[in-house]
Amino acid sequence: MNIVQLKKLQYEEVAKCTRCGFCLPNCPTYAVRRNEASTPRGRNAITRAVIEGRLELSADLAEAIFTCLGCGACTKACFPAVNTKDLVFSDRSCLTEVHANPKIFEKLSEALNEYHNISEDDNEDRAEWQEYLKDVPGEFLEKDHADIVYFVGCVASFFPMAQKIPADFATIMYHAGLDFTILGGDEWCCGFPLIGAGMPEKVTELKNHNVEKLKSVGAKKAVFSCPSCLHTWKHLYDTDIELLHASQLLRDLVSQNKLDLKPLELKVTYHDPCDLGRNTGVFEEPREVIKSIPGIELVELPNNRNMSVCCGGGGNVEMVAPDLSAAIAQRKIEEILSTGANTVISSCQQCLRTIVTSARRQNIELNAMDLTQLVMKSLSQK
Amino acid sequence: MEIDALRQRLKEIVGEDYVLSSSVDLMLYGYDAYLEMSRPDVVVIPENTEQVSQIVRLACEEGIPVTARGSATSLSGGPVPLKGGIVIHFSRMNRILEIDTVNKRARVEPGVITLDLQTAVAKKGLQYAPDPASQKTSTMGGNVGENSGGPHCLKYGVTTNHTMGLKIVLYDGEVVDTGGKAPDRPGYDLTGLLVGSEGTLGIVTEITVRLIEQPEAIKTLLGIFETIEDASNTVSAIIAEGIVPATLEMMDRLVIKAVEESVHAGYPQDAEAVLIIELDGLKDGMERISDRIIKICLANKVREVKVAKDEAERNTLWTGRRGAFGAVSRLRPNYMVCDGTVPRTKLPEVLRKVTEIGREYNLPIGNVFHAGDGNLHPLILFDCRDEEETARVREAGTKILRLCVDAGGTISGEHGIGLEKLHEMSFIFSQDDIAAMWKLKNAFDPVGGFNPGKVLPPLAS
Ligand SMILES: Cc1cc2nc3c(=O)[nH]c(=O)nc-3n(C[C@H](O)[C@H](O)[C@H](O)COP(=O)(O)OP(=O)(O)OC[C@H]3O[C@@H](n4cnc5c(N)ncnc54)[C@H](O)[C@@H]3O)c2cc1C
Ligand code: SF4
Ligand code: SF4
Repeated sequence: MNIVQLKKLQYEEVAKCTRCGFCLPNCPTYAVRRNEASTPRGRNAITRAVIEGRLELSADLAEAIFTCLGCGACTKACFPAVNTKDLVFSDRSCLTEVHANPKIFEKLSEALNEYHNISEDDNEDRAEWQEYLKDVPGEFLEKDHADIVYFVGCVASFFPMAQKIPADFATIMYHAGLDFTILGGDEWCCGFPLIGAGMPEKVTELKNHNVEKLKSVGAKKAVFSCPSCLHTWKHLYDTDIELLHASQLLRDLVSQNKLDLKPLELKVTYHDPCDLGRNTGVFEEPREVIKSIPGIELVELPNNRNMSVCCGGGGNVEMVAPDLSAAIAQRKIEEILSTGANTVISSCQQCLRTIVTSARRQNIELNAMDLTQLVMKSLSQK
Repeated sequence: MEIDALRQRLKEIVGEDYVLSSSVDLMLYGYDAYLEMSRPDVVVIPENTEQVSQIVRLACEEGIPVTARGSATSLSGGPVPLKGGIVIHFSRMNRILEIDTVNKRARVEPGVITLDLQTAVAKKGLQYAPDPASQKTSTMGGNVGENSGGPHCLKYGVTTNHTMGLKIVLYDGEVVDTGGKAPDRPGYDLTGLLVGSEGTLGIVTEITVRLIEQPEAIKTLLGIFETIEDASNTVSAIIAEGIVPATLEMMDRLVIKAVEESVHAGYPQDAEAVLIIELDGLKDGMERISDRIIKICLANKVREVKVAKDEAERNTLWTGRRGAFGAVSRLRPNYMVCDGTVPRTKLPEVLRKVTEIGREYNLPIGNVFHAGDGNLHPLILFDCRDEEETARVREAGTKILRLCVDAGGTISGEHGIGLEKLHEMSFIFSQDDIAAMWKLKNAFDPVGGFNPGKVLPPLAS
């Protein structure tokens, strides 16, 4: 994107910012960095100054613009509802055009182009997580036609820490008698990391491929365990197929009494992932699933639902400012511990990865699991 | 001193990470919530009083201006570094140092967010009363700087009435305490002088405030009126009857509509005015007072009085009020607040004239204000990208303040003078008055380093 396009697309939006500062206490990056460049107001001021020609598009801006988590918490605090995260993503695209973006994103884009996944693995290995499956016949998973396609996402496909999530989710769907399939090596990255990297135009090829594949299966629904994949499909993909998050599908199964949930004596809290909660509006389904498990006590985080604080894993910040991402995760962990719960549940593999990695680094004992894993645990109780 | 050498010295004081000087950072520390912008030469984010003292001493030696900054929510240009120099950002000095429940005092650093203090003391059954609408983001240092008020100040008074003592850094870096936990200190009331001085007399690094008991009961009413006149008369009548509610806040049709579109606070969109009347105090007798208020409302042709049924309904009413400034910016991108005050009895007349000014200058004006203290906040809506319109806004703003003064009021209720209202100072003060204030300023700040260009207009020679 260039400045002329930026002005056309975003000038009206950014002009709504009155610099009132109401968003400051909501921004996790300000809480850590304590300077104006790390505030939503500051980021908006940068966008505006660039549009008005008062500030040059240069690497000087990159720090402020590439450290936004895209969590959207600022917009919830803002009465004119300025969409700072979208403004920031447009800025990133402008910075990319003038090569003032962090080099690591060029590598990311090349990798996606070549491998179609973020971890530079052979894309045929996408089904590696199936090793964790116990009693689901392999052939059940890769059918030519099915009602539901489960879009697994890169992180859950390739990162060992997250691979239990698809395994558990597939097992649950299998036992509930659902007709579903996965795309295996034909699933390509949804393109979400490219938006955070300021290269939205590069999403097109990935998008077209994925939509094409989904059509060929003849599915009526696509289900996602990754909130960011879901969010990308909902906002950037044009498809009339019903798009659901795993927590929504699990809630449906619970309300149809299709899950034989057994008691678990656990005190848990729930972390709303930004892209599932605030940015997609799914708050209650995961809570309903948790509460339907007998014996479980759910305590809310002090900041929940719309006010939920990002785990630190959003907006590709981890790639450019790992220290900032870790400090935000640390604050999240403190918030979790303050509830007195011994387990945190989330519905996003990326949040879990960020939280668990940070806890481990500091030798903090914290159980963290995905909602699908919690349900699986309950189903497998004797 | 060369600017690079200055930055180096500052880094030695606060550490590398907390001295900012990129072109982006300097742009970002040149604004607040008012229109005008400037640019400092360097920004520092200190951690304690000792560092602030060293920064100020260095600035004094080098003849460099120093401007303090909290959350930069000032509506009058307070923290804008007009003459460049050093901006001290208090974001890291945000510790609550002590909550003394026995003596009902709290001691805080200036970067503490007002609401954070209120939440912390509420857990101990106490209350910090001043409640500016910006409380969730404003700092205690900024509140002291501007002598901020809010809806509840009708009954409880503004920041100065709750500030018991300050630690201040004087122009040469010396640190002094102006008071403490004890009431009624002998000698000059330096605390009172510093509160509202907008960073022009000294830099505040610690604040001791008075806490009060939380009220036993709270009752919140929403009066819905067909005309502004009826609502204004109700306000006067309530006070005339000797009732002092905790709040008496008014909003007009334009504001009601904007708020409803933004947060659905439950205000009726077809009313010309609403009043938020809150009572607090002992449970005993509250019903009776509320009945009296309802009677007064009825006598003044209220359409309906709604009573908040629970805490949630009460919060919704207040969310709407606190978000009013922000909500109107959905209609036009910018607003200018004219923070004038008038005697309560003049409210209907002044409001009518404000509407006329809006018509004369062809500008939409909304009203949301502390009706109980006659503190108006006409919000003139515009788009600052339109220079001609912006010029008209400034003229209209000046005219509204003139109107307030002519009605026996003044030019600022709570948002300060800053650089916005330097010119309007001459509406209420003679040259001699202003010269007297300059003497005071020079006594505190002989080098003229603290927030130059604010509060006092230059003397005509
Ligand atoms: C939407 C909105 C609503 C508002 N509502 C109200 C309201 O209801 N009532 C009200 O009174 N105000 C209101 N304000 C104005 C503003 O929020 C207050 O003036 C507030 O007290 C400013 O706090 P701050 O931390 O943002 O200070 P800043 O804006 O950063 O600074 C304000 C002044 O204080 C000085 N200062 C800051 N820290 C120090 C220090 N440590 N030592 C010395 N001087 C210092 C600065 O130099 C400056 O002159 C509102 C503003 C907005 C944007
Ligand atoms: S983004 Fe919204 S809340 Fe933040 S300063 Fe701008 S208008 Fe205020
Ligand atoms: S999206 Fe999140 S990280 Fe980015 S400015 Fe808003 S609150 Fe801060």
